[in-house]
Amino acid sequence: MSAKKVTVRMKVNGKEYVREVEPRYLLADFLRHELQLTGTHIGCEHGVCGACTVLINGKTGRSCLQFAAALDGAEITTVEGIAGDGPLHPVQEAFHDAHALQCGYCTPGFLMTTIEFLQSNPNPDRGQIRQALTNNMCRCTGYLNIVDAVEDAAKRMREGACGA
Amino acid sequence: MKAIEDFTLIGKTVLRREDSYLMRGKAQFLDDLPEPKGLIHLAFVLSPYACADILSVDASAAKALPGVIDVLTGKDLVGDIKTFAPVIEIEGYRDVRRPVVAVDRVNFVGEYVAVILAESPYVAQDALDLVEVDYDPLPAVAGIEEAEAAGAPVIHSHLGDNHIFRAAFETEDFDARFAEGDLVLEEEFRNGKTAGGMIEPRGCMAWPDPVATNFTLWTPTQIPHIVRTAIADHLDIPESVLRVVAPAVGGGFGTKAHVFPDELIVVALARRYGRAVKWVQDRRESLLTNMHARGHILHIKVSVKQDGTLCGVYLNLKTNCGAYPNHPYSPTLEATGCARMLPGPYRFQTYRYDVSSLITNTCPTGAKRGTGQPSAFLAIEGMMDRIGRRLGIDPAEVRRRNTVRPEEFPYVNVVGVRYDTGSYLPSLERGLEMIGYDAFRAAQPKDRLVNGKYRGIGICNYTEVSGTGAPGWRVRGFAKMPGFDSSRVVVEPDGKITVYVSQADAGQGHYTTFAQIAADRLGVACEDVTVVEGDTSKTPYGTGTFASRGSVVGGGTVIRCSEKVGVKIRRIAGYMLDADPERLVLKDGRVADPEDAGRSLSLREVAETAYSMNNLGLPQGEEHGLEATDYYDPPMVTMANGTHVVQVAVDPEDGRVEIERYAVVHDCGRVINPRIVEGQVHGATVQGIGEALMEEIVYDADGQHLNANLLDYLMPTAMDVPELELDHIETPSIDTVGGIKGAAEGGLTGAVPAIANAVGDALSGLGVNITRVPLRPSSVFEQIRRACTEKEGRA
Repeated sequence: MSAKKVTVRMKVNGKEYVREVEPRYLLADFLRHELQLTGTHIGCEHGVCGACTVLINGKTGRSCLQFAAALDGAEITTVEGIAGDGPLHPVQEAFHDAHALQCGYCTPGFLMTTIEFLQSNPNPDRGQIRQALTNNMCRCTGYLNIVDAVEDAAKRMREGACGA
Repeated sequence: MKAIEDFTLIGKTVLRREDSYLMRGKAQFLDDLPEPKGLIHLAFVLSPYACADILSVDASAAKALPGVIDVLTGKDLVGDIKTFAPVIEIEGYRDVRRPVVAVDRVNFVGEYVAVILAESPYVAQDALDLVEVDYDPLPAVAGIEEAEAAGAPVIHSHLGDNHIFRAAFETEDFDARFAEGDLVLEEEFRNGKTAGGMIEPRGCMAWPDPVATNFTLWTPTQIPHIVRTAIADHLDIPESVLRVVAPAVGGGFGTKAHVFPDELIVVALARRYGRAVKWVQDRRESLLTNMHARGHILHIKVSVKQDGTLCGVYLNLKTNCGAYPNHPYSPTLEATGCARMLPGPYRFQTYRYDVSSLITNTCPTGAKRGTGQPSAFLAIEGMMDRIGRRLGIDPAEVRRRNTVRPEEFPYVNVVGVRYDTGSYLPSLERGLEMIGYDAFRAAQPKDRLVNGKYRGIGICNYTEVSGTGAPGWRVRGFAKMPGFDSSRVVVEPDGKITVYVSQADAGQGHYTTFAQIAADRLGVACEDVTVVEGDTSKTPYGTGTFASRGSVVGGGTVIRCSEKVGVKIRRIAGYMLDADPERLVLKDGRVADPEDAGRSLSLREVAETAYSMNNLGLPQGEEHGLEATDYYDPPMVTMANGTHVVQVAVDPEDGRVEIERYAVVHDCGRVINPRIVEGQVHGATVQGIGEALMEEIVYDADGQHLNANLLDYLMPTAMDVPELELDHIETPSIDTVGGIKGAAEGGLTGAVPAIANAVGDALSGLGVNITRVPLRPSSVFEQIRRACTEKEGRA
């Protein structure tokens, strides 16, 4: 049942927001309907498919399983925050080149998972990539091009880091 | 016109233009669309019973909840929406109509019992718990056999029993010819019910214009024009006042190629309340109420000569319709589809089938990638292996001896379907070669046991129905299935191109591939072409994107339409250049006269003349504007083909099937964009791996759906997928425009039988007979255990 609203402050994609929401309001709904950041998608609402994955204080989390009110003060990165309108992030470039998305509904979640994964493991083998990707479900691609993309993204990011 | 060989962009990998906005989170899926003011949010009360009389619905507490606008039952909607049913005109089909919200009886778990209208989705959910429905539960039937058993409860009393459809077919002198074989083998195959499983659940939103005389419906559908026709029919409104828009669609796989009750309801309520109305389902609803697929029982008998060649085939197929026929196909889609597709790449000309579809107290079944084909090939390809085992002939050799030979094309199969071209034998040989078939067989021990695991190899040699035209739908009784698709190609005043197509993309990459086609035909850059589709107000009428028809029919019409407008471009340019239009060439965004090398016009200059933006005027009799419209009705069907060869290891300790090698050879005729075709093959094959090894919707005997969530309905993850070795053979169709054949379903059709056959081969030494998918570890383990016990018993 609806209850008294609470104040939630959140830094999302580098921008501060303050909103009044019901305590039961989900982070996914908060991002999508309060902040109009609709790139984060909802696929199952029970934490299995991973379409709603965002970075919460730098770590991946399911935005469909978290209450916005419990994340007062948190820093969130959504798919809109990866590259904004600027040049694509190397992970996005690699997904594009590998044809690692079809309908694209699940893709934002895969991108967030991949970005976090490559931070902790910049030089993964295919087995490790597959394991990391079990966080997320895709029904279109059959995953193989996504595994290719993550492998390629890792390479691009390593080379980018060397070049920098 | 350029000849096929002159294709410049068709056949090239062009990276997708869709990707950028999808990866930036800017795509507009249904639930991402800006919400109109005053939006009403819906939630449906779902039946918890598979079969029950509704004695009463008490919504007073729900209605009293602040934020609840109204609660409506089926009775409240009777005057707004006619009972819902597809239009099927074929002998043996019996009409069953469905109230869009149940009126006095529910017939499956998840059926809509009441609809809540609220100011927010959270309040709508709260109200669900406050609606008190008094049910009188009745005995339910979930399975085919229970539904046809003597004394079974009759679900729709006007039918007298639970059969909704029966059909039969028999070639001349069937019995005599069938009797010519040296032996008869028979088997019963089954597959579990499965779901499309697209990651975007369904939903829809209707918006009335301020005086509520025109409506827009946004719905993630594969068939916007068919949805519009069906809604107009059932709501008794003119089609002209309804616009149906498919926004970005998060996967379709056939599930979204139906018309659903909720699509009718949101439009009806937008009309009734004069407000925008939106509904979005959750995953549980998605698995409970969206169309299911498969759930077939196939009894097959084959008559064979000593050399392994087929003398005749008999199929008795039973399908589970669910509680109501799906719209627009009805259960005849899978039933006749399966029976008619079963001959596949094989030459036999003696065939009989009896098919029936049974009403049960389960979710309706309908289209899903592959439709009847994964079942059909599970049966016929399963028999190829059995023939081989029985006669001591290698199963690959049995297939060779029965396959349509290269010199026999064009070939007409036993049910009258024309195979114009194909690479049936080359594809089989290539698949065998890729997997190292002969070496594997030579090294394979008789008991199949290598290093503690049973290892086997399975083959599926398949044909893939694609691009079905009007005759193909008529022969199967689909009265309101147009068959054609259409396009409108416009050269804008600035010389850029807009292509409007009657299809609706759900991830197939149409915005890239149709641009490639138009750019190729009009000699411009891809970037100069914009593709618009999925909007009935912008595109001419058409059938939509399903059953592997996008490239064949959508691609075909864009080729034709671009060439039509090309003729006009040449006529006007010819007039401007004082040259014979026939000899003008469209290239690099210009119209050039090759016989006068210095002379050419930009497309913009031609367009300016066409749009009267200069003083040149038009040739006599020429109309202004620079566009064309095309309606392309392709042949009855166009057959793609391919071969899957799979090597598996089965662990006797836990029954787990591991795919060790996987080779796919794929022939979809003329390829438009190789990368996108590869993506289709990957995706379909992995869905097939799901159907073969993991996925099954489980109902208990009382019709309770036991796994309506993604933890229990197991779809493949990145860990469940083997590396796929792919090879393409390109055998263009001689019947379709551009030589294109479909590509979306063969992967699934090939995977299920190939994996089942590989497991069957691996366990053949134990005497395990694989007849049912999915082959989950528990069932494989149980079959191994039973076989071992029997063996010990005999010893």
